[in-house]
Amino acid sequence: MSKSDISLSAIAEQLSSLLVDLLRHLRYFLAVAEELHFGRAAARLHMSQPPLSQSIQRLERELGVRLFDRDARHVALTDAGRQILTEARGLLAGEDRLRASAGRFRNGEAGSLRAGVPPDLGGRAVAALLPAFRRRSPVELKLKEIGTAEQLRALADRSLDVGVLRFPFDVSWLGLGPVLTSPLGVLLPRDHPLAAAPDVRLADLNGLALVLFPRATAPALHDEVLTTCARHGYTPADVHQAGNPEFALGLVLAGGAVALHDGVAPPVDAAWRPLRGTPLLWRTSAAWPRGRQTPAVTAFADAVTEVLTAQGMRHAEGTLPRYPRPAAEYLA
Amino acid sequence: MTASRAAAKVRALFADAGVTGRLHAVDLDHPDREVSVGADDPVVLASVFKVPLVVALHHSGLDLTRRVTLDHDRSTGPTGVGGMLDPVTMSLRDLAYLALTVSDNAAADALVDLIGLDEVDRTVRELHLGRTVVVHRARDFARTMAEDAAPDELPRALADPVVLSRLRALDPAQTNRGTPRDLTTLLRHVWQHDQCAPIRRIMALQVWPHRLASGFPFDDVRVAGKTGTLPTVRNEIGVVEYPDGGRYAVAVFTRSASTAFTLPAADAVVGTAARLAVEHLR
Repeated sequence: MSKSDISLSAIAEQLSSLLVDLLRHLRYFLAVAEELHFGRAAARLHMSQPPLSQSIQRLERELGVRLFDRDARHVALTDAGRQILTEARGLLAGEDRLRASAGRFRNGEAGSLRAGVPPDLGGRAVAALLPAFRRRSPVELKLKEIGTAEQLRALADRSLDVGVLRFPFDVSWLGLGPVLTSPLGVLLPRDHPLAAAPDVRLADLNGLALVLFPRATAPALHDEVLTTCARHGYTPADVHQAGNPEFALGLVLAGGAVALHDGVAPPVDAAWRPLRGTPLLWRTSAAWPRGRQTPAVTAFADAVTEVLTAQGMRHAEGTLPRYPRPAAEYLA
Repeated sequence: MTASRAAAKVRALFADAGVTGRLHAVDLDHPDREVSVGADDPVVLASVFKVPLVVALHHSGLDLTRRVTLDHDRSTGPTGVGGMLDPVTMSLRDLAYLALTVSDNAAADALVDLIGLDEVDRTVRELHLGRTVVVHRARDFARTMAEDAAPDELPRALADPVVLSRLRALDPAQTNRGTPRDLTTLLRHVWQHDQCAPIRRIMALQVWPHRLASGFPFDDVRVAGKTGTLPTVRNEIGVVEYPDGGRYAVAVFTRSASTAFTLPAADAVVGTAARLAVEHLR
């Protein structure tokens, strides 16, 4: 730090303490002006009389005018004092507004919250999310529909405050709400033979193509889905990438393909069947950059949990055994 | 191809494999030639800390043929003495061999207990690895993971992303850390000093084929490396030596999106990213 930096910061510090001091002296002045009695004013301010008198004298020196005419028995405002009293009330009211406004931001009661939701969350969930958030927070909610990969980028560059993300993603820098799961089923054309049964095994889908979200929007999840399908005996004849649910539905109705769906309000012109043994799940949670959990973020995470739980999503529970291999280097 | 173009390709490889990754690759004989992807970002070292540990051992002046006994109270792990059941007596240099070739936690911690974390820290300072800090032994990773995961139980809890987000062992600020550039600087030191020749030998004997080595599937290219692994963390640092004499230090640190323990694509991208960077340097 250079010499001039030091003196500048010292000046800035003094300026701010003068400003705070001025407002404090004006508060004392207001009390004395209203009581017209130093003893009563001091009692009201929970202080003793000598520092109060000193404060008024200092204010008079600072302003260069006498504010009170005082003798042994009487205290009265001077003309200048009366005029300045009006100005002081304005200034102090301004300070109150300023502090209240800062407090509302501090407590998350003002401003706006920028939140992302995945495109396949569904219109009903979005519709329920807004009132559920409004009940919890006075902050304005700005919702954006974006995929997991793009939400992560936006959270990283601070153009998003909180997101609703599908696992898996790199959690190393994020705070997370509860993880909710929804088992997936498939959408089939109504007249498909598999639609006759109450549920479908993944292996029964062989020969059909799979309609899936574009890989670039969530590469890890995309690969996880295909690996799980293969492990359960289903290798899609082809994988069609569909970014929006309507396009996915179109590919299903055209025949020869199935799409994954969580079964919440499935489209009426297709048949939805659960997968036997629930081999595939969406795991979803609210996420925000660690250390930036404001009350509005908490309110949003709670609203997400409420809405998704109401839609039938459940808290995640791990039931599968896990066997780390020696190459994992940790755990025996 | 410019270095920034190579870096962009490495980033794309990481994204495609479902990981976030950092890399530094440098030509050992022309250190101004390098590829950087977040090369100065702080990263979790995991078992990569065993390399600065063994370097410190070689600079400690201790007699490396001295034998010590690892009794029942030693650290545990899935490999080497860490996975054995009975007391073992062996020389310091053989402990170093197990610590680097199979990432033996018991062997590594026995060496830390002998020379002390302060000695490792002194070595790190002397080599000017300004952003590298070693504060934990292997058993401290295991201990803090169990503490931070509670009440959930290991190993299953380690596949739960919410549990992972609270593990100190995965937060660079709270565990052994470094930067990719610091670690290639360490490798340059190892490859330049005669005192470190034994370390070069044992790093080339590392058994794991799935990360750095998988990117160089050639009988005439020698890969000497050391991996580091924790939940979602897959690292490897090493030196790749070509028959024409080209020598390249590479440090790759990744975090996977998926919490699965077994993720071949995330392991393999350590090799493919390193290969792409090295080919750029050649």
